[in-house]
Amino acid sequence: MTCHGGIRQKGGLSFLFRESALDSLTSGDFAIVPGSANKSTVIERINERDPELRMPPEGSPLDPNEISILTNWIKQGAQWQDHWAYVAPNPSLEPPELSEKKGKRDLDKFVLNRLRAEGLTLSEEASKPTLLRRVSLDLIGLPPPESLANKFLDDASEDAFENLVDSLLASLHFGERWASFWLDLARYADSQGYQKDNLRPTMWMYRDWVIDAFNQDMPFDSFTIYQLAGDLLTRPNEDQLLATAFHRNTMSNDEGGTDDEEFRVAAVLDRVNTTYEVWQGTTMGCVQCHSHPYDPIRHEEYYRAYALFNNTQDRDHTSDEPKMELLSSPQRTLKTDYWKQIELLRETGDTIGKTYEEMVNAFMAINPLKVPVMRELPLDSSRTSHVFVRGNWLVHGEEVQPGVPEALGQPQSRHPTDRLELAQWLVHSKNPLTGRVMVNRFWEQLFGRGLVETLEDFGSQGSVPIHQELLDWLAIQFSDEHRWSVKSLLKQIVMSATYRQTSKISPQLYQMDPYNTLLARGPRVRLSAEQIRDQALSVSGLLNGRVYGPSVMPPQPEGVWNVIRHVKGWQTSFEPENQNRRAIYTFWRRVSPYPSMISFDATSRELCVSRRIRTNTPLQAFVTLNDPVFFGAAQSLATRMLENSDDVLNQISFGFQQTLFREPTHLELETMQSLFRHSLDLYGDTPIEVSKITDGIGEESPSMAALINIASAILNLDETITKG
Amino acid sequence: MKIIRELFHRECEHLTRRHFLKQGSLGLGAAALSYLTGCHTSLLEDHSDKSFLGTPKLVPKAKRIIFLHMAGAPSQLDLFDYKPLLHQLDGKPCPESLLKGKRFAFITGIPEMLGPQFRFSQYGASGSWVSELLPHFTEVVDDVLFMKAMHTEEFNHAPAQLFMHTGSPRLGRPSFGSWVNYGLGSENENLPGFVVLVSGNSQPSGGKSLWGSGFLPSVYQGVEFRSKGDPVLYVSNPEGIRRNVRRVVTDAINKINESAYQEVGDPEILTRMAQYEMAFKMQMSVPEATDIGDEPEYIHKMYGTDPGKLSFANNCLLARRLAERNVRFIQLYHRGWDSHGSNDFENLHGGFVQRCAEIDQPMTALVKDLKQRGMLEDTLVVWGGEFGRTPMQENRQGNTNPFKGRDHHGNAFTMWMTGAGVKTGITYGETDEIGYDGINSRIHIHDLQATLLNRLGLDHEKLTYPFQGRDFRLTDVHGRVVNDIIT
Repeated sequence: MTCHGGIRQKGGLSFLFRESALDSLTSGDFAIVPGSANKSTVIERINERDPELRMPPEGSPLDPNEISILTNWIKQGAQWQDHWAYVAPNPSLEPPELSEKKGKRDLDKFVLNRLRAEGLTLSEEASKPTLLRRVSLDLIGLPPPESLANKFLDDASEDAFENLVDSLLASLHFGERWASFWLDLARYADSQGYQKDNLRPTMWMYRDWVIDAFNQDMPFDSFTIYQLAGDLLTRPNEDQLLATAFHRNTMSNDEGGTDDEEFRVAAVLDRVNTTYEVWQGTTMGCVQCHSHPYDPIRHEEYYRAYALFNNTQDRDHTSDEPKMELLSSPQRTLKTDYWKQIELLRETGDTIGKTYEEMVNAFMAINPLKVPVMRELPLDSSRTSHVFVRGNWLVHGEEVQPGVPEALGQPQSRHPTDRLELAQWLVHSKNPLTGRVMVNRFWEQLFGRGLVETLEDFGSQGSVPIHQELLDWLAIQFSDEHRWSVKSLLKQIVMSATYRQTSKISPQLYQMDPYNTLLARGPRVRLSAEQIRDQALSVSGLLNGRVYGPSVMPPQPEGVWNVIRHVKGWQTSFEPENQNRRAIYTFWRRVSPYPSMISFDATSRELCVSRRIRTNTPLQAFVTLNDPVFFGAAQSLATRMLENSDDVLNQISFGFQQTLFREPTHLELETMQSLFRHSLDLYGDTPIEVSKITDGIGEESPSMAALINIASAILNLDETITKG
Repeated sequence: MKIIRELFHRECEHLTRRHFLKQGSLGLGAAALSYLTGCHTSLLEDHSDKSFLGTPKLVPKAKRIIFLHMAGAPSQLDLFDYKPLLHQLDGKPCPESLLKGKRFAFITGIPEMLGPQFRFSQYGASGSWVSELLPHFTEVVDDVLFMKAMHTEEFNHAPAQLFMHTGSPRLGRPSFGSWVNYGLGSENENLPGFVVLVSGNSQPSGGKSLWGSGFLPSVYQGVEFRSKGDPVLYVSNPEGIRRNVRRVVTDAINKINESAYQEVGDPEILTRMAQYEMAFKMQMSVPEATDIGDEPEYIHKMYGTDPGKLSFANNCLLARRLAERNVRFIQLYHRGWDSHGSNDFENLHGGFVQRCAEIDQPMTALVKDLKQRGMLEDTLVVWGGEFGRTPMQENRQGNTNPFKGRDHHGNAFTMWMTGAGVKTGITYGETDEIGYDGINSRIHIHDLQATLLNRLGLDHEKLTYPFQGRDFRLTDVHGRVVNDIIT
């Protein structure tokens, strides 16, 4: 493909499309003549003895078996088979029949069937505490609330796990956790990007829309249509319009001398790339400059996709216009309250007094927020779109009409003509990719690795799924059985025996399948940046669980935001309760994201990113040991340990219970006890250190100092940082 | 290609873990390092048959780079690129031919030409031109290579800085230092391989993206050593936790983690244990490396340093200390060069003169100091802004600015280099008689990048990483090694 693909077509030959492979070569001969191996140059060249002429040019010649396969294929007519991901999954796919293993669910049958071929089977179910913590971190991004935890751990019935799952799915924190996932794809941030990186102080309204959509279990087809084209619906409501802020998360540039058109074009290109990456797992970046080097997508098809997005009013203005005006929900509540009181006063005729005037003024003073949204140009001023020659926006090639790449399947009889039709096509039952791509994303969130590992690339350069039938079946389940309900899909996955397996690895299994692609064990994955912060605040009792609202600025070291003079500095949220909100509410500035988030692999949100690459670095240890947020959590957890009991063993045990929902093992207890004694020794002679470490928490004693270090150690255990 | 890369990385991880497992004990720097720096060089060498990109590596001339970036873009016409003709043209309207079809950041209408603002003389055996603003620097002109016909397409600070350091004017690409560490790994087990030092009134316009790892794994991102507070964020223990306490806490964490490893068998746990050990070591090595207080008096005199202060001089000395400790890529930013003439800070006779005074002695000392220690043998020092300045006086919105100043200009500007594997005592490239355009031996930013990578033993066309379906590289699809300037 490197030599005969979309960029290089040596000798005039490209294997990307059947017609180009069958076309005549520069030499005038034909590489492939269907039905006639003798006339096909390809066969001649692979049989060639002269190494100068033989293909492939490097390495040893093809073996006789390979040659005979190719020869027979040409004899039989050289049929072209599309790449697996471009062929829609078969809707009547059934799970394999398995006689034994009664009680396993359909999902597990696919996995078992594959495992059996390897002489493996599923691992046993994980322990209850492990499962409890795993499913809670997965579904709501937090450790389980105490009541749910106790209920589940005490409940020996068959339904215990399902009840737990149902409660978690119903929690408002569910939306926060899944919004965190979506916002990486939406490249959501609270600033505009580029040099000045001015703030976008109302963009959080979109973030709240996403949280709410997940909480309402908005079907994924509506979720898609509203975000891509809510403005094009007939009489769209406020929420449908707000959803289109999805594509207003593109960056805008406000520097002297920049050409607004250049950056408008850059934003439109980003919308094309993001849309195709998010819904189609297709990398369109290459096609901007030339035909796709590896996948059958033509250069001009990119610009047909571009044309669909090239007709909105936004023009890289500093103001981020066009915007819609709307009230946030606290504003709405307040405004309604005032209105009720005004009406009350009117009814009683009390409209002359000071109270009435104050009420009216207060009512009037609540101004709607202005949020950037998509708005189409009127028909008479719509733009024409052209191919950009070699991707250069200044060099226009031929004019193009809106459309979608043919290789990805065709919507009925004609191409979509606007964003709405595009969105409808993306969630159409004949679209081969959307269901698979999305199911794969959710799977990766739960298992730490997609069934197709390259979440962002389902093309020929992406990885091939080991469990393709499972992927296809789940995709069909998602759209047909669950009618695009994300909650139902997630429930189906977490209820499976596959998900509930223990994550313990035997050396043999590790040798055989180090990355768990076969799924013979449960997931074991380091927590995300958001989960790590949220968990520390939660188990230490510091978390402010308030849902929704403007972004907040929890404390960060001085000078971190001293990036650019044009924008006012980081103003630490004054109210203590806003310092301990969940990570998703932390103000996200593109040039300088929150330090602890970056250490744990969060992205800067400049571009759509499907996969955060998980790293394991010493800088992470600095965060969870020394960042004041985590040190504060250790202090608070220690205080709770102390309040719980006078006995150090019980205190340690309580710390483990709070964090890991299990009793410490003998070794853990002993290790922590010895840490306690060591610390007591070290703090015994240094009362100044004791007063420093216990500063602001009321109890100043060497044993408190020792407990803080124990709490910090618990918060830093691998098991704590990991979802086991 | 993508899958091969991916596999290689996996293999690398896998090997490292096996290596770790064999040793079976804690605190193994080498194994820990694999995660800090990607893959340890020795492991790469073990597998040289399928090394990075299946091609033999070039012979490296340099082991590390110190890049002195003058953020804001100093005027080459007032420092190095002497144009006597501009004296005569001073105050005359700019010919239309220079303005036709050009975009400027601020100039509109017809600006006036602006002569050299300072006295120039020739120095050294090489006869290099330097203005009166850099008296110290005149002493080392024979040790450096001047590149006078540098050029770039970008004419605004952030995109131009991103272009210089990531090869693309847009956000989101890996930076130079990240690429280098991804390609070569680190040689220091206790310090990051890519360190950033910032001085001046604030950070450079391009922000932290200038040392971001883009789509490369985040281990490769630059670590900013701050001058105030913790040199590395959160490297210090909280108040009330001394090093001996941190030791016993780390031991307890790792003891329990080790038992977890015995129980669940996930090698990732071993990596985490190693990282906690490494963090513990860094708590010593970072303050030790960054404490310039222990340098002898004559060194402080030479650099003009004042320990504890935020200054370019301190950062230059720190750069030498980091280079001694084998940090692979040391990036300095000194900000405040944007001499438009719109206010006194941006005045060629105001802020600009001050900036020159801030850098002259320390950068000269850095060159001399590296030389006397024999470190120019394997260290490359690069100096320059993100673009140059116009030979015209800036006229914002058609009005001549109140102070002497010049607008942004990408067509031609000067950079200098010294050290391992580059020719010195010469000037390469020439501009026209008013310094507006390069007329021969021009070097594009991508060419500079290709050349610097080449000196480190990396082929800029082979150093790639797959993202969004494409193999990306620092030099995008451009760049050529400038063979004329290398040894």
